[in-house]
Amino acid sequence: MVTALITLFWGRPGVARRWLVSVSLVAQLAVGVGLVMATQPGRILVLGLGAWPAELGIVLVVDLLTAVMVTLTALVALVAQVYGFIETRWSSSHPLRIPLIQFLLTGIQLTYCTGDLFNLFVAFEIMLIASYALLTLEADDWDIKQAFPYVAVNLFGSALFICGCGLVYSLFGTLNFGGIARRVLEMERDGVVALVALLLLLVFGIKAGLFPLHLWLPNSYPTLPIPLLALFGGVLTKVGVYVIIRMLGTVLPHDLGILHDWLGGFALVTAVVGGVGAISRPFIRGILSFHIVSQVGLMLLAVSFMTPLGLASALMILWHNLVVKSSLFLIGGTAALLNRSDDLSRMGGLWSRVPWLGVLFLVQALSLAGIPPLSGFWGKYLVVRAGLEAGEYVLVAGSIGVSVLTLFSMVKIWLATFWSEPDGVVVRTNDPRWRSMAGVIAVLALVSLGMGLGAEGFSRLALEAANRVLDQEGYVRAVEQFLGKTGGVTP
Amino acid sequence: MALETALLVGVMFTVATYLILQRSFVRILFGFLILTNAANLFVLSMSGRPNGKSAPVVLEKGVPMVDPLPQALILTAIVIGFGVASYLVFLLYRLFLDRKTTNAAELYEEP
Repeated sequence: MVTALITLFWGRPGVARRWLVSVSLVAQLAVGVGLVMATQPGRILVLGLGAWPAELGIVLVVDLLTAVMVTLTALVALVAQVYGFIETRWSSSHPLRIPLIQFLLTGIQLTYCTGDLFNLFVAFEIMLIASYALLTLEADDWDIKQAFPYVAVNLFGSALFICGCGLVYSLFGTLNFGGIARRVLEMERDGVVALVALLLLLVFGIKAGLFPLHLWLPNSYPTLPIPLLALFGGVLTKVGVYVIIRMLGTVLPHDLGILHDWLGGFALVTAVVGGVGAISRPFIRGILSFHIVSQVGLMLLAVSFMTPLGLASALMILWHNLVVKSSLFLIGGTAALLNRSDDLSRMGGLWSRVPWLGVLFLVQALSLAGIPPLSGFWGKYLVVRAGLEAGEYVLVAGSIGVSVLTLFSMVKIWLATFWSEPDGVVVRTNDPRWRSMAGVIAVLALVSLGMGLGAEGFSRLALEAANRVLDQEGYVRAVEQFLGKTGGVTP
Repeated sequence: MALETALLVGVMFTVATYLILQRSFVRILFGFLILTNAANLFVLSMSGRPNGKSAPVVLEKGVPMVDPLPQALILTAIVIGFGVASYLVFLLYRLFLDRKTTNAAELYEEP
C-alpha cells in the first residue's frame, strides 16, 4: 500500500497534465484514509524495500500518526493544487511547477513513512531541493534575494544532518529507527546520546523554524505564489515538527531531561517572537508567515512536556494547523485577488461585497486563535491541561499569552480587509475566479469545523496516536517481527 | 588515524564556517563545498568498528572488513551535495546578474 503511494509519485513528474495530477492526489488521499483505517486498531505496517536484511536495508514504517499526516497532507496538497489551477490558466502557469510540487510531496510523504534515519535524510533532501527550486522558479529580483538565506540555512542544516547520521551510526550501529530504539532501551545512559539528540534537534529545529533558527522563514515564504505558499506554510514546517515528535517520542530515550526543558523554553520564545512578529507585519502573507513560527513554537512546547497528553495536544494542534493554516493562506490570496493587493492599508470593503469569504476567514481565523468550539480551541485546551499536569506553569502562561497575540493579529486582518471601507479601494467581484476559489477553500473550512465539532473523536485519535508514538517497545516489536519474517538478523 | 581525521574534520569545519560568514559570493560557495565535504569525511571516520560491535561484512575466513555502510551513505550524500552545490552556483550567479555585485552585504542593504 505504501509502495503504491511512493511509486505513484515517482512516475508522475514527467507528465505535467493537470487532471492526471489531481487524480493522483485523490488516489493519494484515498491511500491515506486507507492507512488510517488500517493502523487505527494499533497495528504498525512495515514494508522493506530491496532484499536487504531490514537493519541494513530501507524500511518504511506506517503507524497511526504517519497515516493521519499522509492523509491531511494529501488533502491540503489537493486543495492547494486545485486552487492553483483556478488561479492561473494552464497556458500561463510555469511548466515546471507541477512536477516540482510532485517531487516536494514525494519528499514529504517519504519523510513521514520512512523508518530509517538516512532514508529520512534523503527524503528531506528531495523535499528541500524541490522547495529551493519552487522558491526561485517564478521569482523576481527581490524574491530571489530572500531565497538565498533559506537555501544557505537549510544547506547548513543538511550538513549537520549528515554528521548526525554518522554519529548515530557509530553510537548505535544501525540507522533503523526500530534498531536505534531497541539499543536505546538496552543501553546505559550517557552524555553522548544527549549530544546526538541535541544535534538532531538542531537540524529539525532549523527546518521547523524553532527560535533562534527561524529567521529564514518569515521573509522567504511570502515570496511564493499563493497556492505554493499554502502548501509550504501548511505542510513544510510541520514536517520538521513531525520528525521532532518521531525522534523524541519513538527513537530517542525518553529521559533526556534537560533537553526537553530547553526545547520547552525555546519553543515558548519561538511562539512569542512569532506572535509579536505577526503583529508587526503590514500584509496578510507576512502576518500568516510569522504565525507559522508562532504555531510551531506552540506545538513544540506541548511536545516538550513528554506526556501522552502533551503529545496528543501537540498532534491536535499540528493536524488542525495543517488544515487551517493553508486555508488561511488561500483566503488571503483570494482577498488579495479581489482587492488587487494584500497590503492591509490598501484593502477593504470585502465584508459588504463578499460576505461568504468573510465567513470562511472568520471560521478559520478564530479557530487558529483558539475560540471554542472550533478546532484550534481543543488543541490549546489540551496543551494547557497537559502543562498543568506536568507542572510547567510558566510555559502554560506563555502559551495562553500567545493565543491572545494570535487573536490580535487575526482581528487586525479582519478589520482591515473585511470591515474597513476606505476610499479608492475597488472590490473586483467581476473576476469569476473567486467563487470557485472560495468553494475550494470551503472544503478545508468544513474539515476544520468537523475537527472542532467532533473534538471528542478527534482528540481520542490524537491520544491514540500519541500513545502509539511513545510506545517504543511496540515499535521495536513491529520492526522486529518484520525482521523475523524476512529472516534478516544483525550479526 | 582517528586523531588525524578528527583534526582534519575540525579544521575543515572551522574553515567552512569562516568562509560562509564572508561577504564574497565565491567564498560563501567554497565554504559550503568544504562544509559538505567535512560532513562526509566525518561520516567516513565512522566506518571503523562501531562501538565494539563487529562490522556487518566479514570475509569467509572471518577477517572483518571495513564497514561499507558509511561509504554507501557518503556516496548518496556526495551526489546530493553535488546537486545542491550546482543549484547554489546558479542562485549566486542569478543574484550577481540582478545586482551586478558579488558582495553579500551590499545585496541586503535597503535601497
